[in-house]
Amino acid sequence: MKDKIRTLSSAIRVLTTVALWLSATGLVLMTAFIAWQVYGRFVLNDTPTWTETSSVLLMGWFILLGAAVGIREGNHLSFDVLLFVLPDRVKRVFYTVSDIVVIAFALGMVVYGIQLASNAWSTTIPNLGFSGGIVFLALICGGILMVLFSVERILRRMVGLPTARFGEDPVEED
Amino acid sequence: MELFVLFGTFAVLLLIGTPVAFCLGVSSFATIAYLGLPPVVVFQRLNSGISVFALMAIPFFIYAGELMVRGDIARRLVALAGSVVGHLRGGLGQVNIAASVLFGGISGSAAADASAIGGLMIPQMEERGYGKDYAVNITVVSSIIALMLPPSHNLIIYSISAGGKISIADLFTAGILPGLILAMSLMVAAWLVAKKRGYATEPFPGGRAMLALLINATPGLILVAIIFGGVRSGIFTASESSCIAVVYAIGVTIVVYRSLSWSDFVAATMGAVRTASMVLLVIGSAAAFGWLLAYLRVPATLVEMMKGVSENPIIILLLLNVLLLFLGTFMDMSPLIVITTPIFLPVAMAYGVDPVHFGIILILNLGIGLCTPPVGAVLFVGCAVGRIGVGEVFRTIWPFYGAAVATLMLVTYIPALSLWLPALFR
Amino acid sequence: AAACETTFRSSDTHPEGYPTVTAVEYMGELLEERSDGRLCIEVFHSAQLGEEKDTIEQTQLGVIDMNRVSLGPFNNIIEETKVFSLPYIFRSTDHMHNVVDGEIGDAILAEFENHGLVGLAYYDGGSRSFYNSQKPITSKDDIEGLKFRVMQSDVFVDMVDALGGNATPMPYGEVYSSIQTGVIDGAENNWPSFESSGHYEVAGYYTLDQHLIVPEVLVMSKAAYDKLSAEDQALVRQAAKDSVPVMREQWEAREAASEEKVRAAGVEIVEDIDKTPFIEAMVPVYEKHVTSEKLKSLVEQIQAVD
Ligand code: NA
Ligand code: NA
Repeated sequence: MKDKIRTLSSAIRVLTTVALWLSATGLVLMTAFIAWQVYGRFVLNDTPTWTETSSVLLMGWFILLGAAVGIREGNHLSFDVLLFVLPDRVKRVFYTVSDIVVIAFALGMVVYGIQLASNAWSTTIPNLGFSGGIVFLALICGGILMVLFSVERILRRMVGLPTARFGEDPVEED
Repeated sequence: MELFVLFGTFAVLLLIGTPVAFCLGVSSFATIAYLGLPPVVVFQRLNSGISVFALMAIPFFIYAGELMVRGDIARRLVALAGSVVGHLRGGLGQVNIAASVLFGGISGSAAADASAIGGLMIPQMEERGYGKDYAVNITVVSSIIALMLPPSHNLIIYSISAGGKISIADLFTAGILPGLILAMSLMVAAWLVAKKRGYATEPFPGGRAMLALLINATPGLILVAIIFGGVRSGIFTASESSCIAVVYAIGVTIVVYRSLSWSDFVAATMGAVRTASMVLLVIGSAAAFGWLLAYLRVPATLVEMMKGVSENPIIILLLLNVLLLFLGTFMDMSPLIVITTPIFLPVAMAYGVDPVHFGIILILNLGIGLCTPPVGAVLFVGCAVGRIGVGEVFRTIWPFYGAAVATLMLVTYIPALSLWLPALFR
Repeated sequence: AAACETTFRSSDTHPEGYPTVTAVEYMGELLEERSDGRLCIEVFHSAQLGEEKDTIEQTQLGVIDMNRVSLGPFNNIIEETKVFSLPYIFRSTDHMHNVVDGEIGDAILAEFENHGLVGLAYYDGGSRSFYNSQKPITSKDDIEGLKFRVMQSDVFVDMVDALGGNATPMPYGEVYSSIQTGVIDGAENNWPSFESSGHYEVAGYYTLDQHLIVPEVLVMSKAAYDKLSAEDQALVRQAAKDSVPVMREQWEAREAASEEKVRAAGVEIVEDIDKTPFIEAMVPVYEKHVTSEKLKSLVEQIQAVD
């Protein structure tokens, strides 16, 4: 069992790396777009009209992918005061409840993201020409990753492997 | 009852250690379901909450901060600060505060300040015989300065939360004096504690050495000028200045100092993505939570209640401060700005408080909240960097809390401290 | 409003006291009175429930019951609404009133029913004109090279480009300081917004070219509407219709008050401008955006109205 989950973890780690690289590329592109916007307006006196909308779009992508990675790496802020004083057994139960809560919300992101995307599919984003539906794709993809990563956390905890939490050392691969 | 579901679910999830973003999201989800409304609204609000142009300043300033820490700009600023105030009583403690002023002028994140300056200063302070608690106390509380001095992306969040009609440039300028006053009161506190504990001072390095350090730190300082000058002369907007800060930081660290390798660059970008997406997801979920508060008429009800308590603006401001400090000890800054601005700003404005002034009160107040348990991100960062327990820090941090609260009172009751500079620049 | 059986939640992005907000509040009073206190309206002003794009969706989903919105956000959803957002399509406010109060207006309102909404009434949105900080614009040539902030909309970008300006999309909240510091030279809006945003403090020249006289709409969620009895539906429709004259009256008063304040501040107003070159410059814009036969015929019909 433990070995199977280790194998699963290494596959998921690849996914995390991909998501993180995509996310980072999004941030670098955003920087380039806004810099180009300033240059176009101030130097060329011809403001690019696509930069604002596309940067906002990229931002949505990098937030949701980055937030999903944050689930796996334990980057998200939480309130650990009560947990501080509880015995480890109870703590682990609460951690698992939290992971289930995250799964529930992430499933909502997927299901309702699909609904929002299909509603907006026939609209177009001004000055960009893409379908308005793609705005919600990030919500769907981020949700899928969050479900995967949370399930992995629960499985790892079940077999006694470490899972990362905010404020702790990034224990992850064993 | 709906409010009970909203706040009840939120509180329970928070207590069992669910990440704050999901506490906000799931409690909104539960409440919407309880009301029998389509839950899709929660996700629409989440998505709209993170699709705001002005929010872009947050990842950009975080990114710029990461680049400057990894690219050696922060260390040079600390060295400069050391030469200027190191000879005062409390030596390196004073340096820590002055470095926060310099670093705060190029970064808007208290957590970045605490980790950057703390990472550099705490080991040095320990080595020279300062108590670790003293080093961490100063690191933590002085990082609030970064929130007050421009650029401050939290003020941008405030402007957005207030409906996007408050000038970001005015808010930036308004924070300068309160930020400097905070620095001075912390220096006094650092001086008093150092005197009591009998800490040493640093030798004054002399004018020539100071000049060398100044030249060394100049590219870092120029960023302040570029951001301010660029915005004031119409080359870019206040929120675009965050992107320029990134471009400049990349340029300086790669071209001028040659201190940033490819792997440093990747690490800085990944670090920025990690931090920014965590902060922004909270903002998105808070948008769903805030929508429900509006839908359930919480702000209007609260204004009515406040009016029932007192007609006196001084009392109301005191009440707001106490409430914010209380909330700030339990929750993190950006969600609190997003949640409380639509509730408290109308109250404050009803009593004649200028929205720019209120923004400064709010940020300073919530900044103090960042340094107090149970939820104090900056306190955690400081303790983590200094490898010291929260409890130990909490026992001796009080003089610095005192200095911060005294500044808060000055800023609250003397509007001119916030409003005089913006009026001058306008 | 404790006695109300049903309270409709209505959204508005404008602040308390704005003509659209008071008009819907007035409609609520009429409705409460005529239904013997059964039906009420509560207005959530100042975009408390979200920006227009989002609240439209919420109305379609039946999360909120009513919504006062500009037509712009509908251009993507209901093709016919595009005609009202075309530059210089209306010759004057009277022309616009004649169109929306007549058959064309009714036909377009009826289109909303295919999208989960019931169109109740048209409100005034004033006429939008250019203002800037550089010089008085007395002819089309004066626009050459000036940077104007526009809303995120293809038609607006194309309009400013066609006039020779530099169209610069930008969030509304950044416009004031951007004009002040010179990031942009100006923007465009109606009298009340020009005044209440404070933009007149930094943009001293206002040219009344009235490129856009676009009405706004009051819509109801079809889900909420269908729950009502036929009599109550009629009550709602009638109360909405009856709020229109009040709205127009208040709008005029508001416009006049704003104009007076702006003039008193010493803003230079260019009133009698020859619009012909402006309208001629719009030919490629119309070619690009009026593509379907349906839109072409609507444009012709509107032009034929007095
Ligand atoms: Na700052
Ligand atoms: Na510090």
